Amino acid sequence: MTVSLENLETRQVDPTKPLLEVDRLIMRYQVKTGEVSAVEDVTFTIHQGEAVGLVGESGCGKTSVALSLLRLLPSNARFLSGEIRLNGEDLIPLGAEEMRRRRWKDIAMVFQGAMNSWNPVYRVGEQIRETLNTHYKGVLDYGEQNALMERLFAGVGLPPEMLERYPHEFSGGMRQRAVIAMALACSPELIIADEPTTALDVIVQDQILKELKRIQQEMGMSILYISHDIAVIAEVTDSLGVMYAGKLVEYGPTDEVFARPFHPYAYLLLKSTPSITGPRRQLSPLEGEPPNLEMPPTGCRFHPRCPFATEQCVTQEPPLVEVRPGRRVACWNYEDVPELEEALLK
Amino acid sequence: MIKFLTRRFLQMFVLFVAFLTIVFFLLHAMPGDISNQLIGNPNIPPEQREILRQTLGIDKPLIQQYGIYILNFFQGELGKSFSRYPSDVSTVIGAALPRTLVLFLAATIVAFWLGFKSGKLIAWGRGGKIEQSYIVGGVFLQTVFYPWFALVMLWFFGSQLNWFPLGRFIDSELWRGTEFNANTVFNLLILSVVIALAVFGLMRLVISRITPDPIIQSRYRRMASIVILAALLVFWWTSTMRVYAWDIVHHTMLPVLVLAAVAFGGTMLLTRSAMLETLGEDYILTARAKGIPERAIRDRHAARNAMLPVTTSLVLALAFVIGGGIVTENIFSWPGMGSLLLQAVTSEDVPLAIGTLSIVGVLALFGHLIADILYTILDPRIRIS
Amino acid sequence: MSVDDQTQVTEPLDKELEDLTHGAAAVTQVPMWRIRWRLFRRSFARNWALFTENKMGLAGLTIIGIFALMAIAHPILMTFVWDPAIYDPVGGYDAVESIVTIVEEVTDPATELSLEDARIQLNPFVEVGEEIVTVLQPAPPSFSGDYSHWLGTDPQGRDVLSQLLFSTRAAFLLGAIAAITTVVIATTVGSVAAYYGGITDSIFMRFADLILLMPLLPVLFVVGPLFGLTMLNLGLIIGVLNGFGGVAIVLKSQALAVKVKPYIDAAKVAGGGNGHVIFRHIVPNVLPLSFLYMMFGVTEAIAIESTLSFFGLLNVRMTWGLMINTAQTQGFLLSGVNYWWLLFPAGLAVSILAFAFFIVGRGMDEVINPRLRARG
Repeated sequence: MTVSLENLETRQVDPTKPLLEVDRLIMRYQVKTGEVSAVEDVTFTIHQGEAVGLVGESGCGKTSVALSLLRLLPSNARFLSGEIRLNGEDLIPLGAEEMRRRRWKDIAMVFQGAMNSWNPVYRVGEQIRETLNTHYKGVLDYGEQNALMERLFAGVGLPPEMLERYPHEFSGGMRQRAVIAMALACSPELIIADEPTTALDVIVQDQILKELKRIQQEMGMSILYISHDIAVIAEVTDSLGVMYAGKLVEYGPTDEVFARPFHPYAYLLLKSTPSITGPRRQLSPLEGEPPNLEMPPTGCRFHPRCPFATEQCVTQEPPLVEVRPGRRVACWNYEDVPELEEALLK
Repeated sequence: MIKFLTRRFLQMFVLFVAFLTIVFFLLHAMPGDISNQLIGNPNIPPEQREILRQTLGIDKPLIQQYGIYILNFFQGELGKSFSRYPSDVSTVIGAALPRTLVLFLAATIVAFWLGFKSGKLIAWGRGGKIEQSYIVGGVFLQTVFYPWFALVMLWFFGSQLNWFPLGRFIDSELWRGTEFNANTVFNLLILSVVIALAVFGLMRLVISRITPDPIIQSRYRRMASIVILAALLVFWWTSTMRVYAWDIVHHTMLPVLVLAAVAFGGTMLLTRSAMLETLGEDYILTARAKGIPERAIRDRHAARNAMLPVTTSLVLALAFVIGGGIVTENIFSWPGMGSLLLQAVTSEDVPLAIGTLSIVGVLALFGHLIADILYTILDPRIRIS
Repeated sequence: MSVDDQTQVTEPLDKELEDLTHGAAAVTQVPMWRIRWRLFRRSFARNWALFTENKMGLAGLTIIGIFALMAIAHPILMTFVWDPAIYDPVGGYDAVESIVTIVEEVTDPATELSLEDARIQLNPFVEVGEEIVTVLQPAPPSFSGDYSHWLGTDPQGRDVLSQLLFSTRAAFLLGAIAAITTVVIATTVGSVAAYYGGITDSIFMRFADLILLMPLLPVLFVVGPLFGLTMLNLGLIIGVLNGFGGVAIVLKSQALAVKVKPYIDAAKVAGGGNGHVIFRHIVPNVLPLSFLYMMFGVTEAIAIESTLSFFGLLNVRMTWGLMINTAQTQGFLLSGVNYWWLLFPAGLAVSILAFAFFIVGRGMDEVINPRLRARG
């Protein structure tokens, strides 16, 4: 794909074509005492121009999924089976050098605590230029690189002079914006935003999210949001996936999942967040703790904490099935969930 | 940054005066009569003795003596040497000082450069046998009994392999009858190197004005350094002093290498731990995510940050290089301040001993300052507060 | 019990605490000291396991153990096995006689004597090829004869092995004096400076800066001979200087990290006076790091003393450095490895013992600072 300042801005997107397909991915960490099952049989698809969210508690595997996409996992991680297809090409069998070339150019990432993503001894502009020199060597000359970076900064609302500054001269929110600008530098098709707003105050949070949404729509990019904060996800995503203990337990269009969550975990998760505008409801907080992924529970991994668990849940692991068009759940009793809840409340 | 450095310089100055004070009290605490210490040399004729008594203020009260001592020091008046009477202590030291400086600088630069490179590489590698053996080697070099080690090196490389001369500054046979003075040639060598560096510094400035593009900049810089190096070599190759200059250089190499060998171990181990710490930082993960090749991550990101704690510890390494330098000079009979110190002390030439010690203190102080300056340059968080 | 009345608040709390601990002991029928001992043993076992993971630390300890045995061996040997007249490291003397051949150039000093030396020392009329009986000094190692000298004798006829073993004791003593002094001073200084902060802190730190500025070896070069330093003096000086210097700075930061922990506040609230808080709470948590520096302190002390003795600048009876010095001043080192037993045992002893303490220190470092531990 030829790079020029012009076609940096917009891209033709076809929302029906899949961009990234995660297909039955299984990834585990080898530790001294055994294996940690971090990502078990996860399947979902991100279409062109789509914003997808992954929510779940800490340790549920959502960050592991994100790191798997870019193959940034520690050396004790193993892909046991499954595929990660980018525009139809499986990334897993690629060699290290091949993968390296795709990083940032095809998929870029904004990390959790992105403010520490900056190397303190180099200027911010230099670090952005680094990506251009790595992936577009010889394509843009020095002056063109400068122009591009200024456009990027303008795009995130930062003055171009800041390119010459060092990271410690930026405020927290500004650093976050700069990180986003850097992520856009090679105009990737997909951006992964891992907890993009943690550690920012709510006002800045709001600005950043709006910024991301605007950029995404203008540039025709896909975004994968990873967060434990459901409110954030609800605002900006088109589709939503809920993860628990390494498994994807529910998936569907965001507003539908919010309106009527099928999986008990999703249900309890959404119901444990009080709504400012809605009617006053009984909060049903989740009891217990996430399981030990070295020795996960039998059957459905959620059954020890699930108020709706039945015999079957203990022995048989529920598959992720499409129960409505575009809605997938992994639960034996998903249909009974709202009624059971009513019964429990009484 | 200037403010920070000025403050540091003043601090150092105060500390140095405190150091001089300690030396002064050391002088007076020594067993024996103070006048014996300073002017009790039988070589001194009585009239001279009286003059010295006045200059050094021996009979005056302690506080006055102290004042005179400090004032004298900063005027360069360090008394007259006993063992080399009637030479002034300052003259004797003045001749030896540049040589010792060369030894220290050369050894520190070599040690640091090698130590940093190897520390960087082994920290990045996958560990295993190679890393272990480097660590053991580094620890061995750091803890080996240095005089013994220097002797063994001298014997091995000098006597057995005959790669280097067996100590001393020059081969007196070679120089017999020439009109050249060893000191002059040596000073000329230093001068030429200093000029070359200054020219290079100037070129760097000029180059950075010509183009802002760092890739083109480094290309020009490379060309400039090759040209300057070539010029330097040609100058000496065609000079009439060629043989003599080489003789001096040849005699200096082994002491520098041996001193560097021991200082290298510490730097390497320190770089390794600094790198290991840096590897856990977020920006390393980001660099990898950006698709930067491994080697660039190691050098541009990790090593560049690891340099900061290593530079701080340069200060400790300094104490070692100075102490080690003294031993080196004596083992190799190389005529620098270290040899001077030992001679002075064994012949009870108190003025010379005290004077040399004070100047060594000055060297240490400058070393500290340079380390501070380096650190400020390297860390933008301090440079731009 | 009102909060305004200080005495009323602290007394009952103290008493409660007392009752609690004694109560615990009373309930479990186990005395306090035993509980503390068991806790100590458990944490020690855990740390030991971590320490021994790294083979080097273990190797270091073994080496130190071997040297300790050597140090103990000497007085035993001197009392029971060796004749002091011959084997005393400083005053002994053995005239080792042997048959030597006169040669032009000596290749084996054990059986050959150079023509030059023979003419000077014995008889101006000897010729090459003659065999004569003479006293060899220094004598090479021999394992038989009237008196065996496993490492030969030195230029003054003294048994080298005896010297080596005797010097081991000296090295340990010096190391102990220097290291313990350093640690005691540095821990106290660091803890006090951290605890009080303010002017106290500044004074100590400025002082430490001054000491850091002074290059130790050159200073000792001058002070040693001009003041006639003995082993004890040297150990104390090194100990004191290091104690107020760099180590104090490091321990102070550690003490600062401890000072902000909640149990310090708890101790103060419970009525602990300043001294109590410093010495019962801060110091014990700084101690592990102090022990670490003690190891490095021993290494440094041994190196300094050996170097100074090597140049003959100290007033010591017998140390490894002095052994090499004796050999050098009498010109026996210039001929390379011919007189290896004068150079290598002593030189290696210094290096190996210093090495051992250093890697034990590094091993401890990995236990105390886990960030250096295994990666990947």
